[in-house]
Amino acid sequence: MESSENGRESNEGISVKEENILNFLDSVDGYLILMDSLSSTLRQGWLELASARHSMGASRINSTLFDLKLHPASTTLQVNDQSAAPDRELPHFTLCKWASSNNPEKYFEEAKFGEDELLKKSNSLRHRDISHNSEIQARSPESVGSPVTVDDQAEKERYKSLSMFGTLVSPKLRASQLSFETALEMLVEVSNMRASLLCAHDQVQKDMETATK
Amino acid sequence: MYGFEALTFNIHGGYLEAIVRGHRSGLLTAADYNNLCQCETLEDIKMHLSATEYGPYLQNEPSPLHTTTIVEKCTLKLVDEYKQMLCQATEPLSTFLEYITYGHMIDNVVLIVTGTLHERDVQELLEKCHPLGMFDSIATLAVAQNMKELYRLVLVDTPLAPYFSECITSEDLDDMNIEIMRNTLYKAYLEDFYRFCQKLGGATAEIMSDLLAFEADRRAVNITINSIGTELTRDDRRKLYSSFGLLYPYGHEELAVSEDIDQVRAVMEKYPPYQSIFSKLSYGESQLLDKAFYEEEVKRLCLAFEQQFHYAVFFAYMRLREQEIRNLMWISECVAQNQKSRVHDSVVFIF
Repeated sequence: MESSENGRESNEGISVKEENILNFLDSVDGYLILMDSLSSTLRQGWLELASARHSMGASRINSTLFDLKLHPASTTLQVNDQSAAPDRELPHFTLCKWASSNNPEKYFEEAKFGEDELLKKSNSLRHRDISHNSEIQARSPESVGSPVTVDDQAEKERYKSLSMFGTLVSPKLRASQLSFETALEMLVEVSNMRASLLCAHDQVQKDMETATK
Repeated sequence: MYGFEALTFNIHGGYLEAIVRGHRSGLLTAADYNNLCQCETLEDIKMHLSATEYGPYLQNEPSPLHTTTIVEKCTLKLVDEYKQMLCQATEPLSTFLEYITYGHMIDNVVLIVTGTLHERDVQELLEKCHPLGMFDSIATLAVAQNMKELYRLVLVDTPLAPYFSECITSEDLDDMNIEIMRNTLYKAYLEDFYRFCQKLGGATAEIMSDLLAFEADRRAVNITINSIGTELTRDDRRKLYSSFGLLYPYGHEELAVSEDIDQVRAVMEKYPPYQSIFSKLSYGESQLLDKAFYEEEVKRLCLAFEQQFHYAVFFAYMRLREQEIRNLMWISECVAQNQKSRVHDSVVFIF
């Protein structure tokens, strides 16, 4: 009886270790896919910016028009304090997009929803999904049912940030803005994914050290 | 009288028309563009351009090259050619040549005013101004707080002074007012240029009317598309359209109330010259509209050279060179960003 119990315990131990390894490999896979998506979104954004410059002229799209006046950031990044949530071992990054002075919490909650989704995914075995890449590319603030919903305030903030190039700007410049906005969301996802990757890596290392003792 | 220019044109304009036709033969051909599109680096582009008329302007540029450097040096060549023609021109050709640069002058004024509003250094802004649009007191623009001061302190002594009557207010300059000022100035400039060409008469009036009408119509479409979803009201939008062109006045009325690209398309397809432009686009798409308009413009500009003894060849040459510089800019950006598969998205072949 004792030997069968010991055998069951060691089988369970082995399956936990295998699960940890699979979690780690899953995290690496997710991280690499996200990095690839980020790279292609940034390339798209830069080309759209060049296209906007080609369309509107170099005198309308150049770095000398950047606004040097002090103004509040329209998008902020929040890092969850680990002491506030001791059950969370991972640092957690949340994007607060197009926050207005009237309602700074609104977009914080909506952006956080996306990050919570990602955490749930990273905590369980993730099956490789080749459509994940296209989902990230297609996910835009304007898509219905996406984690970050767009309303008039977000659109106003978006146009306000582009107004340094003029109020009548080409749709190509707006497309470029959306691409860089998507890239920013991806960066936050990459950071969260990296945090879970490092955590999974530590877990695997602990298991290996335990096994060698 | 139209038809008798052959008797008198060459007395004052023959030499410069020959010069500009010679310059035209130096425009890059499709073979040049094919070579440029296959370049791997900006140094390769410089090497290919060294065999063209741009060679002397780029040969001394140190590595690493930047796309803005290529555009600046190519623009310098255009400026040199323009100044050589201007200093040789007599009236009314000299006034005609000056009219060609007023658009750049307006862009420079707006650049300085916008940059000053954003607390940028004036010297930095002056370096970014187009050389064809420079004038002596341009740096003083940074002092003005509103349009009245802009006019009173600086622009009253420039060729843009007559265009300010429609937009002088005491309101402080902000992004929306500056945008309206830009478009109002450009509208007034186009209308003035159109009237000047009509006064010249003959082949100049006929060909320039077509080219300027196309420019006015294209601006109307761009203003409409760019203002969709912005705070610009329908009335303000209507005020920015020029009062000439194929779309004036009924097309403008319909464009003023258009709320998306498909409505704009529906308006434009009623006019046969623009049906071919919009037939190249799929529904809801506006990305290729610029290229379609540029292609149509190049076709019309090239046709201007088919006739002799008129001033439109000078306008056509300047615009074709600007298109060539845009092509070089786009090719350089695609090469620099390693996106050569997209190079044909915006290159418009001239020959």
